[in-house]
Amino acid sequence: MAYHLAQLLQRSAARRPEAMAAWARGRSLTYRELEERSNQLAHLLRDRGIRKGDRVGLYFPKSLESLVAMFGILKAGAAYVPLDPDQPAARATYIINNCRMRGLVTDARRLRQFDRDAIRGVELTIVTGAKPEEEIAGTVSWEALSGYESGRPPEWQPVTTDLAYILYTSGSTGEPKGVMLSHQNALTFIEWCAEKFSVRAEDRLSSHAPLHFDLSVFDIYNAMEAGASVHMVPEDILIFPASVAKFMEERGISVWYSVPGALTQLALHGKLSAERFPKLRVILFAGEVFPVKHLRRLAEVFPGVELYNLYGPTETNVCTYYPVDRARLAEMEALPIGRACENTEVFAVDEQGQRVSQAGGKGELFVRGPSVTLGYWGDPEKTRRTLVPNPFQTDFAENVYRTGDLVVLREDGDYDFLGRRDNQIKVRGYRVELGEVEAALLKHGAVAEALVFAAKDPVDGSRIGAVVALHNGTKLSEGDLQQHCALHLPRYMVPVSVEFREKLPRTSTGKIDRVRLTAEASRAVS
Amino acid sequence: MQPAEIKDQVREFIMKIAVRRGVQSVADDDSLTAAGVLDSLGIFRLVTFLEETFAVGVSDEEITIENFQSVNAIQEFVSAKRHEA
Repeated sequence: MAYHLAQLLQRSAARRPEAMAAWARGRSLTYRELEERSNQLAHLLRDRGIRKGDRVGLYFPKSLESLVAMFGILKAGAAYVPLDPDQPAARATYIINNCRMRGLVTDARRLRQFDRDAIRGVELTIVTGAKPEEEIAGTVSWEALSGYESGRPPEWQPVTTDLAYILYTSGSTGEPKGVMLSHQNALTFIEWCAEKFSVRAEDRLSSHAPLHFDLSVFDIYNAMEAGASVHMVPEDILIFPASVAKFMEERGISVWYSVPGALTQLALHGKLSAERFPKLRVILFAGEVFPVKHLRRLAEVFPGVELYNLYGPTETNVCTYYPVDRARLAEMEALPIGRACENTEVFAVDEQGQRVSQAGGKGELFVRGPSVTLGYWGDPEKTRRTLVPNPFQTDFAENVYRTGDLVVLREDGDYDFLGRRDNQIKVRGYRVELGEVEAALLKHGAVAEALVFAAKDPVDGSRIGAVVALHNGTKLSEGDLQQHCALHLPRYMVPVSVEFREKLPRTSTGKIDRVRLTAEASRAVS
Repeated sequence: MQPAEIKDQVREFIMKIAVRRGVQSVADDDSLTAAGVLDSLGIFRLVTFLEETFAVGVSDEEITIENFQSVNAIQEFVSAKRHEA
């Protein structure tokens, strides 16, 4: 069994060197090419001072080069940090400095958006898409890879608990937080998927989610594990269901994994029919709740396709799963999140601190096992709050992850998802801490008070709304504040509506009355 | 209706969405998805707007990247639809 992610590629490259490993926008890479290019990048990184354990960022649109970069960084013994290519430079700058990134792979357009002085900790910048003659001062062009050894990667001693990548998610205090995942964390999930979904060399996996979203871990590494191929959905067609359906048809996709919203759009507007997709055999979805009425439609269109609801926060990747039982779909009200994946244990803890064991019992879901995160980069305090001693293990020290998700145990042993203990919401599967959006609003000098809430959205799960009170004598429009937010937040976090009030209502303890205001404002939005 | 007239109305509608997304300017040839102007909700609002404003019917098969990638593309699509009708 593999204990390091790069071994998945190395083994498939040895077995099927000329098979297609990846496809993107009409270009493809064979296993041999991906293996050789990533070896070259690993040598370049070593040569330019990147050492074991260093963090190297990816900040450019998903492409074949992203794969070369991920494997090259891992082969150099470093950890990669995929940054949302659409987020503003200010947020990327925060992340770069937060994890003390030493290397960055980006493109010329994004590099120009940075205040280079603000990211001077980055000692090595590699620019993709640039020709050698256009080399930007102090950077290395991607073409420089060709000068390095391709036959084998640099030598070092990998350990399965080494940091492999950091995924930044929304943070409640206003800044994103870095979830650290080891090779073992990822491999636990990948090996479970390989077995459960029987991913084979003939499979063609879609890559729908962006790299900073952990759904992409399945697409890429399970393709590599099986010697199959991964096909990247071009970002600019994502919102056009008919174009996405055409992509699936033309690429002969057999295994699809995305957020439910994308599948809802496909089911409603993609003109789907089973004949168009003879190879399609498995559809996986995760990231948010799939409304049952849309899932029914999807199940009708694809009678022979296995459907799975996967559940799990970035901190554990997938920890429970539910194979959709078509016979029960007709009378089902909400989709269960199911039960624990193999090699993982989950349990719910009720308000009295007792383990939920009776059907109907409610509690917070805890996760135990080798997929659980190493913690948050540079934040031992937050790590201690969520990676807690197992309350039911009194004989030795062992940590478990508290998800913050409330669940109920069903009669049949599956769990149903009830909601969050805190102010985290999901927009198109992305985690959004309302506090991060509020902090961005408050960065505007004219904003005195801000409250952000989630209103239900039929397709995206939820939409973000804001209620704001301005300082006396200032004037702002909804558009002004949305523009301001876009300088600090990724697009999916920018409020779609802003309501202005003289002041925000307070509770008797002096806090903003979140419950009352959310109820009032949600009514106004929907 | 002249192409220029259609384009003006499309541009005006697009700009209303763009401002909400923090995008200040959109050239007629700019990719609306790359700039983050259109999202999954926005595209269907735009289709409704086109159907109501220009009295054209837009089918699901026609909601593609080719027809909606820019203000220019949308105008050409609408003009062609009106010509058909």
